[in-house]
Amino acid sequence: MSWFLRSRKETAPVATQVEPGPDVHRSLGLNALLESMRRKGQGLRILDLGPAVGSNVEFLSQLGCKLHIGDLYASRSTAVEGEELGQEFFEQLFPNDARFDVVLAWDLFNYLQRKEMVRLGSLIRRHCRPGALVFALMSIQKQIPAQPIRFRMLEGGQLAYERRSGLERPGPRYAPAEITNFLKGFQVDRSFLLRHGIQEYLLIREDEEEETRVM
Amino acid sequence: MVWKKSDDQPNSYPEPAPAAPRPMSSTPTTTSSTQPEPRRSSERATIGASIIIKGDLSGGEDLVIEGRVDGKVDLKQHNVTVGPSGRVKADIFGKVITIEGEVDGNVFAQEQAILRQAGAIRGNITAPRVVLEDGSRFKGSIDMEIREAGSSKHESSRPERERPQPVEAGRSQAGEPAGASRAAQAG
Repeated sequence: MSWFLRSRKETAPVATQVEPGPDVHRSLGLNALLESMRRKGQGLRILDLGPAVGSNVEFLSQLGCKLHIGDLYASRSTAVEGEELGQEFFEQLFPNDARFDVVLAWDLFNYLQRKEMVRLGSLIRRHCRPGALVFALMSIQKQIPAQPIRFRMLEGGQLAYERRSGLERPGPRYAPAEITNFLKGFQVDRSFLLRHGIQEYLLIREDEEEETRVM
Repeated sequence: MVWKKSDDQPNSYPEPAPAAPRPMSSTPTTTSSTQPEPRRSSERATIGASIIIKGDLSGGEDLVIEGRVDGKVDLKQHNVTVGPSGRVKADIFGKVITIEGEVDGNVFAQEQAILRQAGAIRGNITAPRVVLEDGSRFKGSIDMEIREAGSSKHESSRPERERPQPVEAGRSQAGEPAGASRAAQAG
């Protein structure tokens, strides 16, 4: 049961210290996502790449969704420090043969290198149905929290940002074109730049026909 | 194999109640089957922290696992608690299942599955109600749908009126954003 032990490890901090604590921000991207989900109806399959957050699970289950928790970051902390994450690592985040309608990536893309993003992106594409949505929060700041933020869905389409520590590290500041390059087969459906330096993306999976025409 | 009746349970266990000491019913090595007499719902058995069971478990009373079980735990009509020192490596079937220890397997609860703060599950949860406490660790799928008897149709565990109403999409709303855009549809 090594996962149980390894998931408790934390990676080493890198840079400056700021006050940790929950911030609450209005999330236009989340609102847009929820509206799309409501239009699609019940029975949607959701892949949450973040950790299991009880209130999020309850909220999404009330929408009649089926949820799979991948908890990428806890899995990442099991990898060797500084070592690039390989294909096998990302494959274990996805249940076999599962096809999802929504992927909640939160801010996790900020914590992956370019090659890792390509690997994850190809798997997301493989495991998403046409029309599937990916919700991602990219930082445009030079410094980002040393560990991914824990996001909690609140009433009124707000998101609570729960930082795990006050430490920070340099952010990758991926450009929008890079993100769609990582997630081939997806295009930006909507994006919202928020005042606190977060760009929210809602990416949509093109249908197969469209995809082959472009390729 | 040592089974003992518990008389000092933590408050967090479902339906805690004192249990009268009585001889434990157990079968050799792996399987405990308690069939004959109907039991009071307040009774429960405990697998102590030093106990290792390899094999399936079934029975007619609530169960607290503080030791290690490598085998299916099948107590569909009763509550199952995996205590802080408990480890189960197999599927668990129960009415209310509370996890404070570690489970490497699927959890099937008739009424509710509760993953406490110190608990960890690597596997899938199927239950009409699921509670994940902050700090708990979970990796797998959650299925909170209930299947109607005699029908293949799935229904959500909550009535329509209780479902959250997503607010309107923010493009037309004043708020926090510094900018918003909608990408042009690629032709």
